[in-house]
Amino acid sequence: MFKYQFRWDTVWGSFDFLMGGLQMTLIISAITLVLAMVGGLIIALLDMSRFRPLRWIGISIGEVVRNTPILVQLLWVYYVLPIVFGVRIEALVALIIGLALYQAAFISEVYRSGIQSVPKGHREAAQVLGLTPFQSFNRIVLPQAIRMTLPPLASNFVQLIKFSSLGAVISVSEITRRGMELSATNFRPLETFTFIAVVYFFICWPLAMAIRFWERRLQAR
Amino acid sequence: MSSTSPLILADGVSKKFGINQVLTRVTLEVLERDVVCVVGPSGSGKTTLLRCLALLEEPSEGQVVMEGVPISTPSPDKQVKAAAREVRSEIGMVFQHFNLWPHMSVLQNLIEAPMRVKKMPRDKAVAIAESLLKKVDLFEKRDAYPARLSGGQQQRVAIARALAMSPKVLLFDEATSALDPELRREVLAVMRQLAREGMTMLVVTHEMGFARHVGTRTVFMDRGEIVEAAPGSAFFDAPQTERARRFLQQFADE
Ligand SMILES: Nc1ncnc2c1ncn2[C@@H]1O[C@H](COP(=O)(O)OP(=O)(O)O)[C@@H](O)[C@H]1O
Repeated sequence: MFKYQFRWDTVWGSFDFLMGGLQMTLIISAITLVLAMVGGLIIALLDMSRFRPLRWIGISIGEVVRNTPILVQLLWVYYVLPIVFGVRIEALVALIIGLALYQAAFISEVYRSGIQSVPKGHREAAQVLGLTPFQSFNRIVLPQAIRMTLPPLASNFVQLIKFSSLGAVISVSEITRRGMELSATNFRPLETFTFIAVVYFFICWPLAMAIRFWERRLQAR
Repeated sequence: MSSTSPLILADGVSKKFGINQVLTRVTLEVLERDVVCVVGPSGSGKTTLLRCLALLEEPSEGQVVMEGVPISTPSPDKQVKAAAREVRSEIGMVFQHFNLWPHMSVLQNLIEAPMRVKKMPRDKAVAIAESLLKKVDLFEKRDAYPARLSGGQQQRVAIARALAMSPKVLLFDEATSALDPELRREVLAVMRQLAREGMTMLVVTHEMGFARHVGTRTVFMDRGEIVEAAPGSAFFDAPQTERARRFLQQFADE
């Protein structure tokens, strides 16, 4: 059978090193979420633009990003962008750009469905009362749409925590990367990666549960 | 403005959705203090006519005229659009599904348009809103959110919201059909009170009792056309056409 001497002490010994990586993971996820929210808004506005070329750009970005693997996009940003623009991009910056672009393409859809979730009748009521289209969007549509978008945005944050582990491939020193480095020196991949998986799980799972609860409460209104 | 011109007039209004002709040259005038009830089988174009008058749909032909001024035409020019903006909030509308704004309290629903559109100071808007809420007997629900109210209460709030802009005419689009029979009564009571106070109203309804006893004129529509129009209860006592008779038959046992 499986006889294995667990050596968890090799992990505890590097606890601070790994937690520093976790901190990095969370910072990357937070920055990326903010950028992706802005990027998603830009893509959504392009999508809904009245000018065909702009609409075309918005839709193309969305389709390309949604239909290619995130890892390939990251490698592309890290290795190809510097060749095209002749500048060196730091791995961390490349990771944030790549992840933000990827999430932005999804978040633009979140915005769109948030806006579409507001019944047409609410806008018609505003129109009949004399509110301008801008006032109606600002006062009636947006506040309701934002409420609908918050849980999906939080879910995106959870996704980002997981996706940011891809940074390990381009040597960004987040928790997964540090795990790889640690296991290369302590020769204890089982303990190391199990510990890291548990850390991810106990951050992502409660968040996901809280979001599900939040969504159910919003739907009940 | 000549005082003899109708308050609002649908002048030969046609409406097509694609190839589907929903209204065919409908002419209907509403005079001040009129309570015009529009009845007819479902799908006959009543709601579409109302939406044209509320400037929510553009007619494919004909025009909507308010106090002698065209406010809606097919592909309106600048002048018509400006006229429409001018009178926009003088035409109130009450929807079948209330359409209260769920993220605002009852009071906020009522003061939003007066404050944004009429630039009314908040305390004045609140004072008007509160007196309207008393009128529809919902003052104690002032700070409640729409989701906490019954359908009948929501519709009364919606009526108060429309009244807060002091419209010259109020359009009702099947305002009671989404409600249970017990809740209809409280909404109909408010509508009857408004009629008594001289509010000009155009009411699309399936409530034959209301049309008969409260309406000053009943208009019967079928397949996109006005088939009959008669003052007061005359339509019910002596319908002129076979189509109207057949339509009224269904309500015989009511
Ligand atoms: N926005 C629209 N697009 C296409 N068809 C419509 C639209 N609105 C109404 N119709 C059609 O117009 C017809 C008349 O509808 P409506 O005015 O609601 O009648 P009523 O109020 O008498 O029941 C129906 O056949 C309906 O399908």
